[in-house]
Amino acid sequence: MKIRSKTPLKALACFSATLALSASMVTTSFASDWTPSRAVEYIAPANPGGGWDTLVRTTANVIRSENLSDVNYAAINVPGGGGAVAWAQIARDSRNDHKLFATSPPIILVPLAGTSRFNHTDFTPVARLITDYSIVLVREDSPYQSITDLFDAIGENPRVSIGGGSAAGSMDHISIAGAAAASGLNAASVNYIAFSGGGEAMTSLLGGHVDAVITGAGEASAQLQGGELRALGVSAPERIPGLDVPTYQEQGLDYTFDIWRGVMAPKDISEDALRYYEDLFARMMETDSWAEATERLGWLDAYQGSEEFGEFLDEQLEQFRAVLGDLGLLRN
Amino acid sequence: MESFTNLMYGFSIALDPINLMYVFIGVFAGTLIGMLPGLGPMSALALMIPITFNLNPATGLILMAGVYYGAIFGGSTSSILLNAPGVAGTVATSFDGYPMAQKGMAGKALAIAAYASFVGGTISIIGLMFIAPLLSKVAVSFGPAEYFALMVLGLTAVVSLSDKSLVKGLIAAIMGMMISIVGMDLQTGTERYTFGSIELLEGINFLVVALGIFALAEVFYMLLSGNKSTPKRNAIGSLKLSMAEVKDMAAPVGRSSVLGFFTGVLPGAGATIGSFLGYSMEKRLAKDGDTFGKGNIKGVAAPESANNAACGGSFVPLLTLGVPGSGTTAVLLGALLVMGVTPGPMMLEQRPDVFWGVIASMYIGNIFLLVLNLPLIPYIAKILDAPRPLLLSLILIFCMVGVYGLSFSSFDLVLLLAFGLIGLVMRLYGFPAAPMILGLILGALMEESMRRALQISGGDWSIFIDKPISLVLLIIAALSLGLPVVKKMIQKARA
Repeated sequence: MKIRSKTPLKALACFSATLALSASMVTTSFASDWTPSRAVEYIAPANPGGGWDTLVRTTANVIRSENLSDVNYAAINVPGGGGAVAWAQIARDSRNDHKLFATSPPIILVPLAGTSRFNHTDFTPVARLITDYSIVLVREDSPYQSITDLFDAIGENPRVSIGGGSAAGSMDHISIAGAAAASGLNAASVNYIAFSGGGEAMTSLLGGHVDAVITGAGEASAQLQGGELRALGVSAPERIPGLDVPTYQEQGLDYTFDIWRGVMAPKDISEDALRYYEDLFARMMETDSWAEATERLGWLDAYQGSEEFGEFLDEQLEQFRAVLGDLGLLRN
Repeated sequence: MESFTNLMYGFSIALDPINLMYVFIGVFAGTLIGMLPGLGPMSALALMIPITFNLNPATGLILMAGVYYGAIFGGSTSSILLNAPGVAGTVATSFDGYPMAQKGMAGKALAIAAYASFVGGTISIIGLMFIAPLLSKVAVSFGPAEYFALMVLGLTAVVSLSDKSLVKGLIAAIMGMMISIVGMDLQTGTERYTFGSIELLEGINFLVVALGIFALAEVFYMLLSGNKSTPKRNAIGSLKLSMAEVKDMAAPVGRSSVLGFFTGVLPGAGATIGSFLGYSMEKRLAKDGDTFGKGNIKGVAAPESANNAACGGSFVPLLTLGVPGSGTTAVLLGALLVMGVTPGPMMLEQRPDVFWGVIASMYIGNIFLLVLNLPLIPYIAKILDAPRPLLLSLILIFCMVGVYGLSFSSFDLVLLLAFGLIGLVMRLYGFPAAPMILGLILGALMEESMRRALQISGGDWSIFIDKPISLVLLIIAALSLGLPVVKKMIQKARA
């Protein structure tokens, strides 16, 4: 057993606190005596400023400010290929107990689209942390009042356009196409207009160039406050606190879509290391700094431990495969 | 006089000693990073993100904004001295800036760039202050059809950028457009020209091409041509501008500032397109247009005022709509969200301290930049006095560090080398580089907007002429192509 702290008493206190906390919260995890022996490389598979990067920097910051670990979690950006460049690097680094990376639906979507050889099964799921949901927005003067109005209109007129901030076959497109399929339409009947960023999609909606826009609920809150836009529905299982928007399910559409984010590690890391990280993130999410950060960023806690997260990812894979198949975008 | 009261309130925040210090740090760091080729505002901002985590939002944005316009301000230096654009927005500056430096007028070129940047920056802040909410309407009035028309107008600049042979200019422009579509297609998810390589999935970074065909090609060319082609470089020349020169530049700087500001307001257009439009507009309007590209002072002044004005303009959609118009402002938006400020329609009411504080700080920052940069010019320009082997290696190192810093990919270094060789071949056979860069900037945007517009209209091409803004832009484009031809025909008929 290696306790690197100089004051054994403090370490012991930490240790028992860990035990108590994790026992109360995550039944599957137990406090192991493994601790990282050097700085942990914490990879955001994209450039600074995006979702993965924010997750990496925020969690690393909380871990540091709450003294949850003796070592530093060093944020490293490895952009390229929509994540594929980083995944290829990490896949070569199996059994490395000192490497983590931020992840979200693209780890499943990008391989399905045929542009990455690696998917979530090539890595170790550590924990799902947070989620956001899709929200469908229209202009205040739009004739559509509910999500069913919109899908009815699409059924009658295939030109009704829905803009999104990412490429065809990526999250926004899957989310809205899946919802359309759940409402009885053909997923491919959604006239999805891909913009190169959520911002461009939003200005196009504000200017009346597209009929609706699909985006993350977190990003949309400022726009909704402005009063120029109206939300038709949100893909959450129940209403999001502080956001007065009905869910799809309330409107009779049995469909939810999670824009989840979590942490993964290379394949075949040691069982002890996995338990350590699983537990570390569980403890992190109990802290005040985390609560304050999620409040600021509009994140919703959605913790899942390694095993549960892995099963969730397998389900997601099947769901996405089906929608991409309907869209004719499945290449793998 | 409400704006005035608000501005005074803004100054009360910006003049707070802490904020004043951060403006200074921001513009200083920005201008330094901007001077290094390849390290643009985006990487500069990314470096600042960890610092802003612990700042209050107004101070944080003041710092980040300072870094952003500081980097654009400083970006001209390496374009002028080394023909190695520091940021995408200063590529056009190298067209006349580098020839000026080679003629021994480096000091003057740098001084002009500094003054023009200052004027462009200041004009854009005035615009931001008075008409930002109004301008957000302009920004949203541009949909896919309008963007397509704007890109067509931008492409007409190929004519003025191809100095000798129009055919060679067009070939270069089309090559640029082809390079711009490398990567995954947004509308279908199809890979184009990637040859199965994941490094090419996100396309080829603009700066890899620009540094390759400008800076690296220049290095290769100098190596090939030996000593004879390089003039004596030790003269930096005077920084002073004559009254006639100031008069000559006043109108171009004014026009380009306004043009740059408006392009900056449009999401997706930004400093690069603004500077190219400014340059080609002035080249056409100037009586001595044929000396553009050979060291005309207006060819430095126009793009420099345009790109700095565009930088200010890009704050309009960010602050009033909450939407980022470019990669750089997307990083800014991310940082603001982390600090707990949500830019958007409500920001003026919810966080007037951030909005007005930043605007006021920009006035101060621009003055800092001018005061900081002017005295430094003679020292920075001394780099040209370095012995040639040293200078060439220095350019090489700058380019490689800059390119590697874009995405830490050694693959990009291979691409840089390849574009250096392509640039050399183009130069040896008289193909102009500028139209290729223009095609590269506009190509993908033009194609994407065209397909988006057609997808919205259900394949009906009339969308491009049904929309008034699009129609007007297309008419201007047709006129700017047609008029010179008609003029020539009339001249011929008279003769």
